Amino acid sequence: MTRTKILFVPAVIVLFAAAMQAADIKLIANPSIGVSSVSTDEVKRMFLLEKSTLDDGTRVEPVVAKGGPTHDAFLKQYLSRTDSALQTYYRSLVFTGKASMPKTLGSEAEVVAYVAKTKGAIGYVSAAAVTAGVKTLDVK
Amino acid sequence: MNCKTKITAQVALLCAAPVVMHAQFDFKMDGLKFQVHSFASQGFAYSNDNNYLTMNTSQGSFAMTDGGVNLSSQITDKFRVGAQAYDRNVGVMGKGRVTLDWALGDYKFKSWFGVRAGKVKTVFGLYNDTQDIESLHTWAILPQSAYPIDLRASTIAHVGGDIYGTFDLQKRGGISYTAYYGTRPDDPTGGYTYGLKAFGVNLNGVTGTQAGGDLRWNNLIKDVTFGASYMNSPMDTAGTMQMSPLPKSPGTIHAEDRSIAYYVSYKSGSLSVDGEYRLEKIYSTMKIAVMPTMVVTSLYNPVECGWYAAAAYRISKRLEFGTYRSWFYPTWTGDRDAPISHITDQVVTARVDLAKFWDVKIEGHFMDGYGNPQSLRGFYLQDNPAGLQPKTNMLVIRTGWNF
Repeated sequence: MTRTKILFVPAVIVLFAAAMQAADIKLIANPSIGVSSVSTDEVKRMFLLEKSTLDDGTRVEPVVAKGGPTHDAFLKQYLSRTDSALQTYYRSLVFTGKASMPKTLGSEAEVVAYVAKTKGAIGYVSAAAVTAGVKTLDVK
Repeated sequence: MNCKTKITAQVALLCAAPVVMHAQFDFKMDGLKFQVHSFASQGFAYSNDNNYLTMNTSQGSFAMTDGGVNLSSQITDKFRVGAQAYDRNVGVMGKGRVTLDWALGDYKFKSWFGVRAGKVKTVFGLYNDTQDIESLHTWAILPQSAYPIDLRASTIAHVGGDIYGTFDLQKRGGISYTAYYGTRPDDPTGGYTYGLKAFGVNLNGVTGTQAGGDLRWNNLIKDVTFGASYMNSPMDTAGTMQMSPLPKSPGTIHAEDRSIAYYVSYKSGSLSVDGEYRLEKIYSTMKIAVMPTMVVTSLYNPVECGWYAAAAYRISKRLEFGTYRSWFYPTWTGDRDAPISHITDQVVTARVDLAKFWDVKIEGHFMDGYGNPQSLRGFYLQDNPAGLQPKTNMLVIRTGWNF
Protein backbone atom coordinates (compact mmCIF):
# COMPACT_ATOMS: atom_id res chain seq x y z
CA MET A 1 0.00 0.00 0.00
CA THR A 2 2.88 2.34 0.86
CA ARG A 3 4.46 1.66 -2.59
CA THR A 4 1.12 2.37 -4.27
CA LYS A 5 0.85 5.66 -2.42
CA ILE A 6 4.40 6.55 -3.44
CA LEU A 7 3.54 5.98 -7.12
CA PHE A 8 0.09 7.54 -6.87
CA VAL A 9 1.20 10.91 -5.51
CA PRO A 10 3.72 11.75 -8.29
CA ALA A 11 1.19 10.60 -10.91
CA VAL A 12 -1.40 12.99 -9.51
CA ILE A 13 1.15 15.80 -9.45
CA VAL A 14 2.05 15.17 -13.11
CA LEU A 15 -1.61 15.12 -14.18
CA PHE A 16 -2.32 18.23 -12.15
CA ALA A 17 0.66 20.02 -13.72
CA ALA A 18 -0.55 19.09 -17.20
CA ALA A 19 -4.05 20.35 -16.43
CA MET A 20 -2.59 23.55 -15.03
CA GLN A 21 -0.47 24.00 -18.16
CA ALA A 22 -3.53 23.74 -20.38
CA ALA A 23 -5.39 26.21 -18.20
CA ASP A 24 -2.40 28.61 -18.27
CA ILE A 25 -2.58 29.24 -22.05
CA LYS A 26 -5.32 31.12 -23.83
CA LEU A 27 -5.70 31.01 -27.61
CA ILE A 28 -6.85 34.41 -28.89
CA ALA A 29 -8.07 35.48 -32.30
CA ASN A 30 -9.10 38.56 -34.20
CA PRO A 31 -12.91 39.08 -34.06
CA SER A 32 -13.03 38.54 -37.85
CA ILE A 33 -12.59 34.81 -37.22
CA GLY A 34 -16.04 33.27 -37.20
CA VAL A 35 -15.37 30.05 -35.29
CA SER A 36 -15.39 29.89 -31.50
CA SER A 37 -13.36 26.69 -31.18
CA VAL A 38 -10.59 24.85 -32.98
CA SER A 39 -9.10 21.39 -32.55
CA THR A 40 -5.60 20.76 -31.21
CA ASP A 41 -4.72 19.35 -34.64
CA GLU A 42 -5.85 22.61 -36.28
CA VAL A 43 -3.79 24.65 -33.82
CA LYS A 44 -0.73 22.55 -34.63
CA ARG A 45 -1.22 22.80 -38.38
CA MET A 46 -1.85 26.56 -38.28
CA PHE A 47 1.29 27.31 -36.28
CA LEU A 48 3.36 24.95 -38.43
CA LEU A 49 2.10 26.91 -41.47
CA GLU A 50 0.50 23.80 -42.94
CA LYS A 51 -3.01 25.25 -42.76
CA SER A 52 -3.70 28.84 -43.75
CA THR A 53 -7.51 28.81 -43.75
CA LEU A 54 -10.14 27.52 -41.37
CA ASP A 55 -12.95 25.24 -42.52
CA ASP A 56 -15.20 28.28 -43.03
CA GLY A 57 -12.65 29.71 -45.46
CA THR A 58 -11.30 32.40 -43.14
CA ARG A 59 -7.61 33.03 -43.69
CA VAL A 60 -5.54 32.78 -40.52
CA GLU A 61 -2.24 34.43 -39.64
CA PRO A 62 -0.42 32.84 -36.70
CA VAL A 63 1.42 35.19 -34.34
CA VAL A 64 4.29 33.78 -32.31
CA ALA A 65 5.85 35.02 -29.09
CA LYS A 66 9.58 35.66 -28.90
CA GLY A 67 10.01 33.56 -25.77
CA GLY A 68 8.89 33.15 -22.17
CA PRO A 69 7.12 30.50 -20.11
CA THR A 70 3.78 30.80 -21.99
CA HIS A 71 5.58 30.42 -25.32
CA ASP A 72 7.51 27.37 -24.12
CA ALA A 73 4.36 25.80 -22.67
CA PHE A 74 2.44 26.42 -25.91
CA LEU A 75 5.19 24.82 -28.00
CA LYS A 76 5.39 21.81 -25.74
CA GLN A 77 1.65 21.31 -25.52
CA TYR A 78 0.56 21.97 -29.09
CA LEU A 79 3.59 21.62 -31.36
CA SER A 80 5.79 19.07 -29.51
CA ARG A 81 8.83 21.18 -30.29
CA THR A 82 11.39 23.28 -28.53
CA ASP A 83 11.77 26.93 -29.55
CA SER A 84 15.04 26.07 -31.29
CA ALA A 85 13.36 23.31 -33.32
CA LEU A 86 10.46 25.59 -34.24
CA GLN A 87 12.76 28.37 -35.44
CA THR A 88 14.71 25.83 -37.50
CA TYR A 89 11.45 24.63 -39.01
CA TYR A 90 10.31 28.15 -39.91
CA ARG A 91 13.70 29.03 -41.40
CA SER A 92 13.66 25.86 -43.54
CA LEU A 93 10.43 27.11 -45.12
CA VAL A 94 11.61 30.72 -45.49
CA PHE A 95 14.97 29.88 -47.07
CA THR A 96 13.42 27.45 -49.58
CA GLY A 97 10.65 29.82 -50.60
CA LYS A 98 7.79 27.82 -49.12
CA ALA A 99 6.52 30.32 -46.54
CA SER A 100 7.06 33.68 -44.88
CA MET A 101 8.29 34.00 -41.30
CA PRO A 102 5.33 34.38 -38.91
CA LYS A 103 5.00 37.65 -37.02
CA THR A 104 7.01 37.40 -33.80
CA LEU A 105 6.29 39.75 -30.90
CA GLY A 106 8.10 40.39 -27.64
CA SER A 107 5.34 40.78 -25.06
CA GLU A 108 1.80 39.61 -24.41
CA ALA A 109 0.51 43.15 -24.70
CA GLU A 110 2.04 43.38 -28.19
CA VAL A 111 0.51 40.02 -29.16
CA VAL A 112 -2.95 41.12 -27.99
CA ALA A 113 -2.66 44.49 -29.74
CA TYR A 114 -1.54 42.91 -33.03
CA VAL A 115 -4.21 40.20 -32.95
CA ALA A 116 -6.87 42.83 -32.18
CA LYS A 117 -6.01 44.97 -35.21
CA THR A 118 -5.06 42.27 -37.75
CA LYS A 119 -7.73 40.39 -39.68
CA GLY A 120 -7.30 36.63 -39.33
CA ALA A 121 -4.58 36.81 -36.66
CA ILE A 122 -4.34 34.06 -34.05
CA GLY A 123 -2.00 34.07 -31.07
CA TYR A 124 -1.53 32.73 -27.56
CA VAL A 125 -1.13 34.41 -24.19
CA SER A 126 -1.26 33.40 -20.55
CA ALA A 127 -4.67 32.83 -19.02
CA ALA A 128 -4.24 35.91 -16.84
CA ALA A 129 -3.42 38.25 -19.74
CA VAL A 130 -5.71 41.19 -20.49
CA THR A 131 -7.35 40.40 -23.84
CA ALA A 132 -9.52 43.39 -24.70
CA GLY A 133 -10.44 43.59 -28.37
CA VAL A 134 -9.85 39.90 -29.19
CA LYS A 135 -11.89 36.74 -28.86
CA THR A 136 -10.83 33.62 -27.00
CA LEU A 137 -10.99 30.31 -28.85
CA ASP A 138 -11.76 27.03 -27.14
CA VAL A 139 -9.39 24.23 -28.02
CA LYS A 140 -11.08 20.85 -28.31
CA MET B 1 48.23 40.25 -48.77
CA ASN B 2 50.04 37.75 -46.55
CA CYS B 3 48.36 34.90 -44.70
CA LYS B 4 48.26 36.64 -41.30
CA THR B 5 46.70 39.81 -42.78
CA LYS B 6 44.17 37.72 -44.67
CA ILE B 7 43.13 35.89 -41.50
CA THR B 8 42.87 39.16 -39.54
CA ALA B 9 40.73 40.68 -42.28
CA GLN B 10 38.46 37.66 -42.35
CA VAL B 11 38.03 37.64 -38.58
CA ALA B 12 37.20 41.36 -38.61
CA LEU B 13 34.65 40.77 -41.34
CA LEU B 14 33.13 37.91 -39.38
CA CYS B 15 32.67 40.07 -36.31
CA ALA B 16 31.14 42.89 -38.36
CA ALA B 17 28.92 40.56 -40.36
CA PRO B 18 26.00 40.36 -37.90
CA VAL B 19 25.68 44.16 -37.85
CA VAL B 20 26.02 44.56 -41.61
CA MET B 21 23.76 41.68 -42.25
CA HIS B 22 20.96 42.54 -39.88
CA ALA B 23 18.81 42.26 -42.92
CA GLN B 24 15.72 40.53 -41.64
CA PHE B 25 13.16 43.20 -42.04
CA ASP B 26 9.67 43.78 -43.38
CA PHE B 27 8.54 46.65 -45.53
CA LYS B 28 5.43 47.65 -47.42
CA MET B 29 5.18 48.74 -51.02
CA ASP B 30 1.96 49.45 -52.90
CA GLY B 31 0.03 47.89 -50.05
CA LEU B 32 1.99 44.63 -50.21
CA LYS B 33 4.10 43.34 -47.31
CA PHE B 34 7.60 42.14 -48.22
CA GLN B 35 10.05 40.20 -46.06
CA VAL B 36 13.83 40.16 -46.49
CA HIS B 37 15.93 37.40 -44.91
CA SER B 38 19.62 36.58 -45.17
CA PHE B 39 22.20 34.06 -44.08
CA ALA B 40 25.96 33.54 -44.28
CA SER B 41 28.61 31.16 -43.01
CA GLN B 42 32.36 30.91 -42.80
CA GLY B 43 34.32 27.74 -42.18
CA PHE B 44 37.82 26.49 -41.58
CA ALA B 45 38.97 22.96 -42.35
CA TYR B 46 42.23 21.23 -41.45
CA SER B 47 43.06 17.65 -42.38
CA ASN B 48 45.98 15.31 -42.19
CA ASP B 49 47.51 14.13 -45.49
CA ASN B 50 44.64 14.28 -48.01
CA ASN B 51 43.11 17.49 -49.33
CA TYR B 52 39.32 17.33 -49.37
CA LEU B 53 36.51 18.99 -51.32
CA THR B 54 38.98 20.97 -53.47
CA MET B 55 40.21 22.87 -50.39
CA ASN B 56 43.85 22.88 -49.36
CA THR B 57 42.81 21.31 -46.06
CA SER B 58 46.19 19.68 -45.36
CA GLN B 59 47.54 23.22 -44.83
CA GLY B 60 44.37 24.54 -43.21
CA SER B 61 41.81 26.28 -45.38
CA PHE B 62 39.35 29.12 -44.87
CA ALA B 63 37.94 28.57 -48.38
CA MET B 64 34.50 27.64 -47.07
CA THR B 65 32.22 30.66 -47.36
CA ASP B 66 28.64 31.08 -48.46
CA GLY B 67 25.68 33.38 -48.08
CA GLY B 68 22.30 34.33 -49.46
CA VAL B 69 19.54 36.90 -49.31
CA ASN B 70 15.88 36.53 -50.20
CA LEU B 71 12.84 38.70 -50.77
CA SER B 72 9.28 37.38 -50.63
CA SER B 73 5.70 38.51 -50.38
CA GLN B 74 2.34 36.89 -49.72
CA ILE B 75 0.43 38.60 -52.53
CA THR B 76 -2.97 37.06 -51.75
CA ASP B 77 -4.22 34.40 -49.34
CA LYS B 78 -3.23 31.68 -51.78
CA PHE B 79 -0.43 33.24 -53.86
CA ARG B 80 3.11 34.11 -52.85
CA VAL B 81 6.25 35.10 -54.76
CA GLY B 82 9.88 35.29 -53.82
CA ALA B 83 13.48 34.98 -54.93
CA GLN B 84 16.81 34.18 -53.31
CA ALA B 85 20.36 34.91 -54.44
CA TYR B 86 23.18 32.63 -53.29
CA ASP B 87 26.93 32.80 -53.40
CA ARG B 88 29.44 30.21 -52.28
CA ASN B 89 33.14 29.52 -52.34
CA VAL B 90 34.28 26.04 -51.30
CA GLY B 91 37.85 25.44 -52.40
CA VAL B 92 37.76 26.09 -56.14
CA MET B 93 34.02 25.48 -56.34
CA GLY B 94 31.59 28.35 -56.59
CA LYS B 95 34.34 30.98 -56.87
CA GLY B 96 32.06 33.63 -55.40
CA ARG B 97 29.74 33.43 -58.39
CA VAL B 98 26.37 34.91 -57.34
CA THR B 99 23.56 32.73 -58.60
CA LEU B 100 19.80 32.80 -58.52
CA ASP B 101 19.14 30.13 -55.89
CA TRP B 102 15.37 30.09 -56.38
CA ALA B 103 12.71 32.39 -57.77
CA LEU B 104 9.14 31.26 -57.82
CA GLY B 105 5.45 31.90 -57.77
CA ASP B 106 3.49 29.57 -55.49
CA TYR B 107 -0.28 29.15 -55.71
CA LYS B 108 -1.90 26.99 -53.05
CA PHE B 109 -5.38 26.03 -54.23
CA LYS B 110 -6.01 23.76 -51.25
CA SER B 111 -3.81 22.26 -48.53
CA TRP B 112 -3.74 19.09 -50.65
CA PHE B 113 -2.93 20.79 -53.96
CA GLY B 114 -0.58 23.61 -54.82
CA VAL B 115 1.61 24.63 -57.75
CA ARG B 116 5.05 26.21 -57.79
CA ALA B 117 6.78 27.48 -60.91
CA GLY B 118 10.08 29.14 -61.59
CA LYS B 119 13.43 28.05 -60.26
CA VAL B 120 12.47 25.73 -57.42
CA LYS B 121 14.63 23.94 -54.87
CA THR B 122 14.22 20.21 -55.44
CA VAL B 123 12.68 18.05 -52.74
CA PHE B 124 14.78 14.88 -52.53
CA GLY B 125 15.45 13.00 -49.32
CA LEU B 126 15.36 14.77 -45.99
CA TYR B 127 17.59 17.76 -46.66
CA ASN B 128 18.35 18.27 -50.37
CA ASP B 129 16.47 21.55 -50.59
CA THR B 130 17.89 22.89 -47.31
CA GLN B 131 21.47 21.59 -47.55
CA ASP B 132 22.94 25.06 -48.22
CA ILE B 133 21.48 26.66 -45.09
CA GLU B 134 24.09 26.04 -42.42
CA SER B 135 21.93 27.22 -39.48
CA LEU B 136 19.28 24.57 -40.14
CA HIS B 137 21.59 21.65 -39.38
CA THR B 138 23.59 20.30 -36.46
CA TRP B 139 26.50 19.52 -38.79
CA ALA B 140 29.16 21.75 -40.31
CA ILE B 141 29.25 19.36 -43.28
CA LEU B 142 26.23 17.18 -44.04
CA PRO B 143 26.78 13.45 -44.69
CA GLN B 144 28.52 13.44 -48.05
CA SER B 145 27.13 10.01 -48.94
CA ALA B 146 23.75 11.74 -49.41
CA TYR B 147 24.54 15.45 -49.88
CA PRO B 148 27.88 15.78 -51.73
CA ILE B 149 28.89 19.43 -51.74
CA ASP B 150 30.85 18.97 -54.95
CA LEU B 151 27.93 17.45 -56.87
CA ARG B 152 25.30 19.83 -55.49
CA ALA B 153 24.29 21.10 -58.93
CA SER B 154 23.00 17.71 -60.03
CA THR B 155 20.12 17.75 -57.54
CA ILE B 156 19.74 21.17 -55.94
CA ALA B 157 17.08 22.85 -58.08
CA HIS B 158 15.19 22.82 -61.34
CA VAL B 159 13.70 25.48 -63.57
CA GLY B 160 10.19 24.27 -64.16
CA GLY B 161 7.27 23.43 -61.94
CA ASP B 162 6.08 21.42 -58.96
CA ILE B 163 2.77 20.18 -57.78
CA TYR B 164 2.57 19.53 -54.06
CA GLY B 165 0.22 19.04 -51.16
CA THR B 166 -0.56 17.32 -47.90
CA PHE B 167 -3.46 14.98 -47.18
CA ASP B 168 -4.52 15.33 -43.57
CA LEU B 169 -5.30 11.91 -42.13
CA GLN B 170 -6.22 13.29 -38.69
CA LYS B 171 -4.94 10.88 -36.05
CA ARG B 172 -2.88 9.03 -38.68
CA GLY B 173 -0.82 12.13 -39.42
CA GLY B 174 -0.46 13.44 -42.96
CA ILE B 175 0.91 12.31 -46.31
CA SER B 176 2.83 14.96 -48.26
CA TYR B 177 3.72 14.67 -51.91
CA THR B 178 5.79 16.63 -54.41
CA ALA B 179 6.18 15.95 -58.13
CA TYR B 180 8.34 18.07 -60.41
CA TYR B 181 9.82 18.54 -63.84
CA GLY B 182 12.29 21.06 -65.15
CA THR B 183 15.72 21.76 -66.52
CA ARG B 184 18.68 21.41 -64.23
CA PRO B 185 21.06 24.35 -63.70
CA ASP B 186 24.61 24.27 -64.95
CA ASP B 187 27.46 24.74 -62.50
CA PRO B 188 30.69 25.40 -64.39
CA THR B 189 32.51 25.74 -61.07
CA GLY B 190 31.20 22.52 -59.49
CA GLY B 191 32.91 19.26 -58.69
CA TYR B 192 31.74 17.45 -61.83
CA THR B 193 33.49 19.84 -64.21
CA TYR B 194 36.52 20.17 -61.91
CA GLY B 195 36.94 16.46 -61.27
CA LEU B 196 36.85 15.44 -64.92
CA LYS B 197 39.78 17.76 -65.67
CA ALA B 198 42.06 15.24 -63.96
CA PHE B 199 41.08 12.81 -66.72
CA GLY B 200 41.79 15.26 -69.53
CA VAL B 201 38.15 16.22 -69.97
CA ASN B 202 37.32 19.93 -70.26
CA LEU B 203 33.62 20.70 -70.49
CA ASN B 204 31.78 23.65 -72.03
CA GLY B 205 28.68 23.40 -69.90
CA VAL B 206 26.11 20.85 -68.79
CA THR B 207 22.47 20.73 -69.80
CA GLY B 208 19.82 18.35 -68.64
CA THR B 209 16.47 17.83 -67.03
CA GLN B 210 15.13 16.71 -63.68
CA ALA B 211 11.93 14.78 -63.19
CA GLY B 212 10.87 13.09 -60.03
CA GLY B 213 8.88 13.10 -56.87
CA ASP B 214 8.78 12.66 -53.16
CA LEU B 215 6.25 11.01 -50.88
CA ARG B 216 6.44 11.19 -47.09
CA TRP B 217 4.25 10.29 -44.16
CA ASN B 218 4.40 12.52 -41.11
CA ASN B 219 3.21 11.41 -37.69
CA LEU B 220 1.72 8.03 -38.48
CA ILE B 221 3.95 7.27 -35.52
CA LYS B 222 4.25 10.36 -33.30
CA ASP B 223 7.20 12.60 -34.25
CA VAL B 224 8.33 10.25 -37.04
CA THR B 225 8.59 11.09 -40.72
CA PHE B 226 9.43 8.45 -43.30
CA GLY B 227 9.38 8.53 -47.05
CA ALA B 228 11.00 7.99 -50.40
CA SER B 229 12.18 10.14 -53.30
CA TYR B 230 12.93 9.39 -56.93
CA MET B 231 14.79 11.47 -59.50
CA ASN B 232 15.62 10.92 -63.15
CA SER B 233 18.13 13.50 -64.37
CA PRO B 234 19.60 12.86 -67.83
CA MET B 235 22.34 15.24 -68.87
CA ASP B 236 24.41 16.19 -71.88
CA THR B 237 27.68 18.00 -72.15
CA ALA B 238 30.41 18.64 -74.68
CA GLY B 239 33.99 19.75 -74.63
CA THR B 240 37.47 18.55 -75.37
CA MET B 241 38.92 15.32 -74.19
CA GLN B 242 42.52 14.26 -74.03
CA MET B 243 42.82 10.74 -72.69
CA SER B 244 46.21 9.13 -73.22
CA PRO B 245 47.23 7.80 -75.71
CA LEU B 246 44.53 9.61 -77.74
CA PRO B 247 45.15 13.18 -78.93
CA LYS B 248 43.04 16.10 -77.63
CA SER B 249 39.76 15.80 -79.46
CA PRO B 250 36.20 17.12 -79.29
CA GLY B 251 33.79 14.88 -77.48
CA THR B 252 30.41 14.56 -75.83
CA ILE B 253 29.03 12.91 -72.73
CA HIS B 254 25.47 11.73 -72.35
CA ALA B 255 24.48 10.36 -68.96
CA GLU B 256 21.27 8.91 -67.61
CA ASP B 257 21.19 9.32 -63.87
CA ARG B 258 18.48 7.68 -61.79
CA SER B 259 18.44 8.06 -58.03
CA ILE B 260 16.23 6.81 -55.28
CA ALA B 261 16.31 7.70 -51.60
CA TYR B 262 14.60 6.18 -48.58
CA TYR B 263 14.61 8.05 -45.30
CA VAL B 264 13.28 8.16 -41.78
CA SER B 265 13.49 10.94 -39.22
CA TYR B 266 12.51 11.14 -35.57
CA LYS B 267 12.40 14.56 -33.91
CA SER B 268 10.97 14.93 -30.44
CA GLY B 269 11.93 17.53 -27.87
CA SER B 270 15.72 17.74 -27.72
CA LEU B 271 16.42 14.51 -29.62
CA SER B 272 16.79 14.14 -33.36
CA VAL B 273 17.58 10.87 -35.17
CA ASP B 274 17.87 10.56 -38.96
CA GLY B 275 18.66 7.78 -41.38
CA GLU B 276 18.83 7.85 -45.14
CA TYR B 277 19.76 5.45 -47.95
CA ARG B 278 20.56 6.45 -51.53
CA LEU B 279 21.02 4.41 -54.66
CA GLU B 280 22.20 6.05 -57.88
CA LYS B 281 22.42 4.28 -61.23
CA ILE B 282 24.53 6.08 -63.79
CA TYR B 283 24.63 5.19 -67.48
CA SER B 284 27.28 7.44 -68.98
CA THR B 285 28.53 7.34 -72.56
CA MET B 286 31.51 9.44 -73.60
CA LYS B 287 32.23 9.77 -77.33
CA ILE B 288 35.53 11.22 -78.46
CA ALA B 289 35.90 12.18 -82.12
CA VAL B 290 39.57 11.30 -82.47
CA MET B 291 39.29 11.77 -86.21
CA PRO B 292 36.31 12.78 -88.35
CA THR B 293 35.85 9.14 -89.21
CA MET B 294 36.86 7.64 -85.88
CA VAL B 295 34.88 7.95 -82.68
CA VAL B 296 36.05 6.28 -79.48
CA THR B 297 33.30 5.37 -77.05
CA SER B 298 33.84 4.96 -73.33
CA LEU B 299 31.16 3.70 -70.97
CA TYR B 300 30.87 4.38 -67.24
CA ASN B 301 27.94 2.61 -65.61
CA PRO B 302 28.35 2.39 -61.86
CA VAL B 303 25.70 1.71 -59.25
CA GLU B 304 26.64 4.06 -56.43
CA CYS B 305 25.10 3.66 -53.03
CA GLY B 306 25.41 5.42 -49.75
CA TRP B 307 23.70 5.79 -46.43
CA TYR B 308 24.06 7.46 -43.08
CA ALA B 309 22.72 7.27 -39.54
CA ALA B 310 22.73 10.42 -37.41
CA ALA B 311 21.72 11.42 -33.90
CA ALA B 312 21.79 14.79 -32.17
CA TYR B 313 20.74 15.95 -28.72
CA ARG B 314 20.25 19.50 -27.52
CA ILE B 315 21.68 19.67 -24.00
CA SER B 316 20.50 23.24 -23.41
CA LYS B 317 19.23 26.30 -25.23
CA ARG B 318 22.79 27.00 -26.41
CA LEU B 319 24.49 23.61 -26.76
CA GLU B 320 23.85 20.62 -28.96
CA PHE B 321 25.95 17.49 -29.53
CA GLY B 322 25.64 15.09 -32.42
CA THR B 323 27.26 12.26 -34.28
CA TYR B 324 26.77 10.53 -37.62
CA ARG B 325 28.33 7.74 -39.58
CA SER B 326 28.23 7.92 -43.36
CA TRP B 327 29.03 5.17 -45.88
CA PHE B 328 29.59 5.64 -49.59
CA TYR B 329 30.40 2.96 -52.20
CA PRO B 330 31.19 4.14 -55.75
CA THR B 331 30.30 0.68 -56.92
CA TRP B 332 28.62 -1.98 -54.87
CA THR B 333 30.25 -4.95 -56.64
CA GLY B 334 33.81 -6.10 -56.14
CA ASP B 335 36.16 -5.63 -53.23
CA ARG B 336 34.52 -3.04 -50.96
CA ASP B 337 37.35 -3.03 -48.41
CA ALA B 338 39.93 -1.34 -50.63
CA PRO B 339 40.29 2.43 -50.02
CA ILE B 340 39.31 3.08 -53.64
CA SER B 341 36.03 1.22 -53.11
CA HIS B 342 34.55 3.12 -50.21
CA ILE B 343 34.44 6.29 -48.12
CA THR B 344 33.20 5.99 -44.56
CA ASP B 345 33.06 9.00 -42.29
CA GLN B 346 32.53 9.00 -38.54
CA VAL B 347 31.66 12.50 -37.36
CA VAL B 348 31.24 14.13 -33.97
CA THR B 349 29.93 17.67 -33.62
CA ALA B 350 29.33 20.27 -30.97
CA ARG B 351 27.07 23.17 -31.94
CA VAL B 352 26.97 26.31 -29.79
CA ASP B 353 24.19 28.84 -30.39
CA LEU B 354 25.77 32.12 -29.30
CA ALA B 355 22.50 33.91 -30.11
CA LYS B 356 19.28 33.04 -31.95
CA PHE B 357 20.91 34.27 -35.17
CA TRP B 358 24.53 33.09 -34.63
CA ASP B 359 26.01 29.63 -34.19
CA VAL B 360 29.43 28.01 -34.11
CA LYS B 361 30.18 24.35 -34.84
CA ILE B 362 33.26 22.31 -34.02
CA GLU B 363 33.34 19.04 -35.89
CA GLY B 364 35.70 16.09 -36.26
CA HIS B 365 35.68 13.83 -39.31
CA PHE B 366 37.35 10.43 -39.25
CA MET B 367 37.29 9.09 -42.79
CA ASP B 368 38.36 5.73 -44.12
CA GLY B 369 38.89 5.27 -47.85
CA TYR B 370 38.83 7.84 -50.66
CA GLY B 371 36.56 6.25 -53.24
CA ASN B 372 36.96 5.97 -56.97
CA PRO B 373 38.28 9.31 -58.36
CA GLN B 374 35.78 8.91 -61.22
CA SER B 375 32.91 9.17 -58.74
CA LEU B 376 34.02 12.75 -57.94
CA ARG B 377 33.31 12.55 -54.23
CA GLY B 378 35.55 14.83 -52.26
CA PHE B 379 39.00 13.46 -53.13
CA TYR B 380 40.45 14.83 -56.37
CA LEU B 381 43.63 13.65 -58.06
CA GLN B 382 44.80 17.14 -59.00
CA ASP B 383 44.52 18.25 -55.34
CA ASN B 384 46.53 15.25 -54.12
CA PRO B 385 49.42 14.93 -56.61
CA ALA B 386 51.46 12.77 -54.23
CA GLY B 387 48.67 10.21 -54.15
CA LEU B 388 45.82 9.58 -51.74
CA GLN B 389 46.29 8.18 -48.26
CA PRO B 390 43.78 5.59 -47.02
CA LYS B 391 42.61 7.61 -43.98
CA THR B 392 41.67 11.26 -43.55
CA ASN B 393 41.10 12.99 -40.23
CA MET B 394 39.74 16.48 -40.47
CA LEU B 395 38.74 19.25 -38.09
CA VAL B 396 36.06 21.67 -39.29
CA ILE B 397 35.06 24.85 -37.49
CA ARG B 398 32.18 26.74 -39.01
CA THR B 399 30.19 29.77 -37.89
CA GLY B 400 26.97 31.06 -39.39
CA TRP B 401 24.38 33.82 -39.11
CA ASN B 402 20.81 34.06 -40.24
CA PHE B 403 18.27 36.87 -40.12
